[in-house]
Amino acid sequence: MKKLTYYPGCSSHGTSEEFDKTVKMVMTSLDVQMEEIPDWNCCGATSAHTLSESLAYALPLRNLVLAEKLDNKTIAIPCASCYQRLKVTKYHMDNNPELALRINTTIVGEGTYTGKVEVKSMLQYCYEEIGLEAIMARVTKPLSGMKLACYYGCLLTRPKAITQFDSPEYPISMDRIVEALGAQATEFDYKTECCGASFSISNTEVVIGLSGKILEMAKESGADAIVVACPLCQSNLDMRQPDIEKHFGKQYHLPVFYFTQLMALAFGADPKELMFNKHIVPVEEALAKIGKVEPGPEKIKKPKKALEAESEVE
Amino acid sequence: MITLGLEEKNEILSEVNRRSGANVLECYQCGKCVSTCPVSNYMDYPPRETMQMIKLGLKNELLMANSSWFCLTCSACSGRCPREIDIPAVMEAIRHIAIEENYINDSKKVKEIRKFHEIFLDMVKRYGRNYELRMMAEFNIRTRNLFKDMHLAPKALLKGKIPLGVKPMKSAKAIQRMYKLAEKLDKKHL
Amino acid sequence: MARVGVFVCFCGANIADYVDVPMVVEETKKIREVKFAIEYKYMCSDPGQQLIREAIVQHRLTSIVVAACSPRMHEKTFRKALSDAGMNPYLLEVANIREHSSWVHQKDKKAATEKAADLVRMAVAKSIANEQLFEISVPVTKRALVIGGGIAGIQAALDIADARIPVVLVEKSPSIGGKMAQLDETFPTLDCSQCILTPKMVDVASHPYIELIPYSEVIELEGFVGNYKARIKKKASYVNFATCTGCGACWQKCPVKVPNEYNMGIDKRKAIYTPFPQAVPNKPVIDAAYCTMLLKGKCGICAKVCQVGAIDFKMQEEIIEREIGAVVVATGYDLWDPKPYEEYGVGRFKDIITSLEFERMVSANGPTNGLPVRPSDGKIPKNVVFIKCIGSRDEAKGIEYCSKICCMYTTKHTILLHHKVHDSHAYVFYMDIRAAGKGYEEFVKKAQVDTAATYLRGRVSKIYKKEDKLIVRGEDSQIGQVVEVVADLVVLATAVIPPKDNPELARMLGISYDKYGYLSEAHPKLRPVETAKAGIFLAGCTQAPKDIPDTVAQASACAAKVCGLFAGDTMKKDPMISTVNTEFCSGCQNCVQVCPYGAIVTEEVPMGHGSKEMRTVARINEGVCQGCGSCVAVCRSMAISLAGFTDHQIINEIVSI
Repeated sequence: MKKLTYYPGCSSHGTSEEFDKTVKMVMTSLDVQMEEIPDWNCCGATSAHTLSESLAYALPLRNLVLAEKLDNKTIAIPCASCYQRLKVTKYHMDNNPELALRINTTIVGEGTYTGKVEVKSMLQYCYEEIGLEAIMARVTKPLSGMKLACYYGCLLTRPKAITQFDSPEYPISMDRIVEALGAQATEFDYKTECCGASFSISNTEVVIGLSGKILEMAKESGADAIVVACPLCQSNLDMRQPDIEKHFGKQYHLPVFYFTQLMALAFGADPKELMFNKHIVPVEEALAKIGKVEPGPEKIKKPKKALEAESEVE
Repeated sequence: MITLGLEEKNEILSEVNRRSGANVLECYQCGKCVSTCPVSNYMDYPPRETMQMIKLGLKNELLMANSSWFCLTCSACSGRCPREIDIPAVMEAIRHIAIEENYINDSKKVKEIRKFHEIFLDMVKRYGRNYELRMMAEFNIRTRNLFKDMHLAPKALLKGKIPLGVKPMKSAKAIQRMYKLAEKLDKKHL
Repeated sequence: MARVGVFVCFCGANIADYVDVPMVVEETKKIREVKFAIEYKYMCSDPGQQLIREAIVQHRLTSIVVAACSPRMHEKTFRKALSDAGMNPYLLEVANIREHSSWVHQKDKKAATEKAADLVRMAVAKSIANEQLFEISVPVTKRALVIGGGIAGIQAALDIADARIPVVLVEKSPSIGGKMAQLDETFPTLDCSQCILTPKMVDVASHPYIELIPYSEVIELEGFVGNYKARIKKKASYVNFATCTGCGACWQKCPVKVPNEYNMGIDKRKAIYTPFPQAVPNKPVIDAAYCTMLLKGKCGICAKVCQVGAIDFKMQEEIIEREIGAVVVATGYDLWDPKPYEEYGVGRFKDIITSLEFERMVSANGPTNGLPVRPSDGKIPKNVVFIKCIGSRDEAKGIEYCSKICCMYTTKHTILLHHKVHDSHAYVFYMDIRAAGKGYEEFVKKAQVDTAATYLRGRVSKIYKKEDKLIVRGEDSQIGQVVEVVADLVVLATAVIPPKDNPELARMLGISYDKYGYLSEAHPKLRPVETAKAGIFLAGCTQAPKDIPDTVAQASACAAKVCGLFAGDTMKKDPMISTVNTEFCSGCQNCVQVCPYGAIVTEEVPMGHGSKEMRTVARINEGVCQGCGSCVAVCRSMAISLAGFTDHQIINEIVSI
C-alpha cells in the first residue's frame, strides 16, 4: 500500500468539494492511503505574493513544516494554485538557506524546515507514482466514446525549472490518463493558456475573454467535455460558461470535469456519488457518449517512428 | 516627450534587479512576452515596454501603471523568454515597490484587484483559511458593487457550489502571529 | 662586457599619455651595462628603426631592448632591424610597456612610469644573457589535405592545386558539393547555385593535382607542420568505382526506398544511390543500413542488372595513408533541430517546415517540381509565414549567437516564393534585419518593395491550428500590437550549428574548439585562418557561421597560407625551442606527459662512455616543439633548457628589480 500526505486546500471545503471527494474515492480504489496535514492553513494563493514577499513564503512554509512531521515522502495537492505556492516555496527554501532561516522565524515554535518532503500535484502523483498501467488495471467501465480536451492551465507545469513536470507548452500526462480510462484526448492547442485565474472575482471581464477563447478552442478540437486538475480553472470554465456564451453569442455546452471524477467513473463508481449535480453546465449529454463505440481501453500511443526508420520495400 | 540624462543614477533599474533576481538589461525587446501574456492588452505598458521603461529609469510611470497589478503570474512569458528573464518577478518587484512607496493607481480595476487581495488576506488572517462566500460578499460591499455576480448566486448556492459555512483551522492564532512577524520581515528587508 | 642599447617608444599618445617616457629613459641610463638610451615617437616607423640600426654600429652594442608595445605586434619588425645592422636578431628583447603598463594603469601615471622602468630594467638584465640563435630548417612534404568537400573545401583544394601543389580532398558523403549543392538561387545576386557550383565540382574531379577520396573520413593525424601523416578510412561503398560507369541501372531497379537526405526527407531515394544527379563522383554507393542484400542476404537485383559487374557485396572498409605537409579543415555546418519550440507545435503540425526544406521545394531539381507545397495536403500555399532566429539568439532553447545567414536567405525566400506563387503573400517575423555585406541592404530593400512582403518586428510566441490553417501569433513591436497571421505554411529559419563530430575531429587533429563546437582560429582578428597548431588551417562554417562569399574568401586565404608554407623546400622556424641535456635527464618522462604538441619522444643512450647498458632519456623533436616551456617547468633534474628563455636569463630578470 502506498501512502501520501494530503493537502486539500481551502476550496476543497467549498467550490471544489467534488474534486476533494473524488480524489479520496480514487485513492481508495488505487490502494493509496492519504494522511491529511493536521491543522493546515491557506497557502495564500495569488494574494499573498501580490502584496507581501514574506507572507507569500510563510503561509506555505507552515504547511511544509507540518507535513514533515508525518512519515510520508510526498505531499500530493489537488489544487494547482496551492500546489504551485507550496512547490515554489519549497524551491526557494531549498535553494536559499538564508531565506529559509529568515522565513522560518515567522512560524516560531511549529518546527524547522528541512526540505525532506517532496511536493507533487495530484495529477503528477497519479501519472508518476501510480502510473498508467495501474490506472488501466482498475478500469471497469471504460469511457470509450468520450472525446475530451485536457486543460492544464498555467500552474501545473510552469515554471519548468521549479515544477520539473511534463511540458510547459504541450503537456500530455492528463491526456494519457484519460486515454488509459478509455476516452479519446483531442488535439487541443490551448492546454496551458491562462484562464484568468485569480481575476475570477476582481476582474471578471478578463476571465470571460480568456476562458472564452479556451472554450472556443476546446470546441474546435471536437471535444465533448473539458477535463481539468484545478478548482480555479474548473469554476472559471464551468461557472462562467453561461456568461461567456452570452457575451460572445455562442453555445459551447462543454461540461468541465475534474480528472478524478472521470477516474472514479471509469473505476465503476456510482455516478450519483460523483457530485455531477454541482456542475453548472449539464453533464448528461457528454456522459451519454460513453459506450457509443466498441469498449476497451485504447492503447497508449507509441511515439512516432523516427524518419530514418521509415524505409519501405516495394 | 521624455527627457533623459537628468538623473544621476537609474534607481528603479537597480532596485528591480535586486528584488527580482533578474537582469532587465538582458532584455532585447523581441516582444515574445507581449504576445504570450494573456492580459497584455489590458496593461498600460505590456512586459516588453515595461522592460524598456525600466532601462530608461521612468520610475514614476512604472510605479503608477496598472501593468504589475494585472500580471497573473502565470509564468508563460518567462517560460518562453529567449533570455530567460523572470518577468513575473520583475512585475512583482514593481508592485512591491509601489506598495511600499505609496504609489496609488486610481483606476477602478486596479483598486478592485488590490481590494480583492486585501480581503482575501484578511480572511486568511481571521480564519487561517479562505471563506469563499463571505469573501465574495465583502468584495461586493467594499467595491460598492452589491449586485455583481448576483445572477450566479441562486444557482451556485442551490447546487452547493459555494458553501455557506467554513471549517476554520484550530490554530488561527498562529496565523495572526505569522502575519505580524512577516510584516516586520518585509519592512526589515526593504 | 655587455653593451646594451635601450629604445623607448611613445607610441603616439598610447604610452606617452600615461607613462613619463623621458623619465624611463633617465632611469634606464643609470644601469651600468646600458651604453645608449633614447626615446622616440614611433619606434616601429622607419626613422625609429633607423635609430636602432645607427646606434648598433656607432655604440658597438651587444644587445638591444625596445620598450614599446606587445612583442606579438612588432617583435619581428625590430628583429629585422637588428639583422639589417648585421646583428643576430635574437639579441633583441621587447619590454611591453603599453599593454602591461600604460593601457592598464591609466589612472596613475607615477605608478605606471615606475612599472615601465621596472619592465625595461628586467629586459636589460635578460638581454645581457641573450645568446645568438639561428632559425631552424625543417623539410616539407608539399602535399595538402583538405577535409570536407563543400564549397569551402572545393575552393581551397582548387586554389592550392592551381599552384601545382598536390591536394588530397577527403569527403565523408558519396559526393562533394556540401550544403551549397542543396541550394536553389543564392543571395544577393540570385545566381543559381548549381550553375556556379557544379563546374567547380567537375574541376575538382578532373584536376591533375587533386586526389578526390569520397565516402571517407580522416581518422588519425600524426607528425608536425610540413611532415604530417594522415590515416583515412574509406567506407565500404559496395560499388567498384573503377569499373562502374554510372549508368544508373542499379538504382532504377533497386526496390528499397529510403528518405532522401538531399531533399530533406521530402521524397525517397533508393538503398543504392547517388545523392543527386550532378553528384561528383557520379558513382552510386549502397546504404548498408537499408540494403536487404546486406541486411538479410536476399535481393541482389543491383548486381544482376549491372552490366560491368561493379557491385561487390563483400567489399570491406579500407584504411589508407597519405603523407602531407598541411591541412585545411572545412567540415561545414549543420542545422539546428527546432523540436524545442513546443509552443509552435513543431513536430505536431506538418505545415511547419525548415528553411532548407523550403529551399529544396523551390529548387528546380527539387522533389516538388520547384513549387512550395503544404506537406499536409500537397496544396500550394498562399500565405507563408517566415520566422527568423529559430534557435539563434535564443539561449533558452538554442544558442546565443546570431547565425548570420538567415536574414539574407529569408529575404531570398520571399523573392523565390513571389516568383513561384504569384498570388502568394509572405509575412516575415524578425527581430533585426542584419544585412551587412556587399549589395545586401540593397537586396533586402528591393525584395521588400518587389514582393510587398509584410515584415513584423517581433518573436512569434505561439502557433496553433484552426481548421486547416496555422495561426501564428506574435507582437508587432513597431505598433505595439499583438498580431495573428492566418498561414498556410510556416517556414522556420533554423540556426547554423557546428557539425556534431567537430570536437572529436579537433581532438584527433590536436586543435582547439569553442564552447559551441566551432573550431578555433589562432587569433580572432589577425590570424583568422590559422589554428594554434602550425600547418592546420580553417575554411568556412566549421570556424563560425558565414555565407558563401565569406566562405570562399576564407578558403582562398587558406590556399594562400598553404602555398606560403610550401614556398621553399624547407621551412624556417623560430629557434626558441627546448633541448635536453641528456647527462642530467633522469628519464622520468614527466615532460612527455605535459607536452601539448607531442614533441617529446624517448631514446636509449649508453649509461656512460662506452657502456653497453642503456638508459632512457627524453629527446625533443625540434620540428614539432613550439617553445611553450611546459617541459622546462616540470623537469625535476633541470635537464631541459628553452633557448631564449634560459634559467640564467630568467634569474637575471628577477634579481634586477
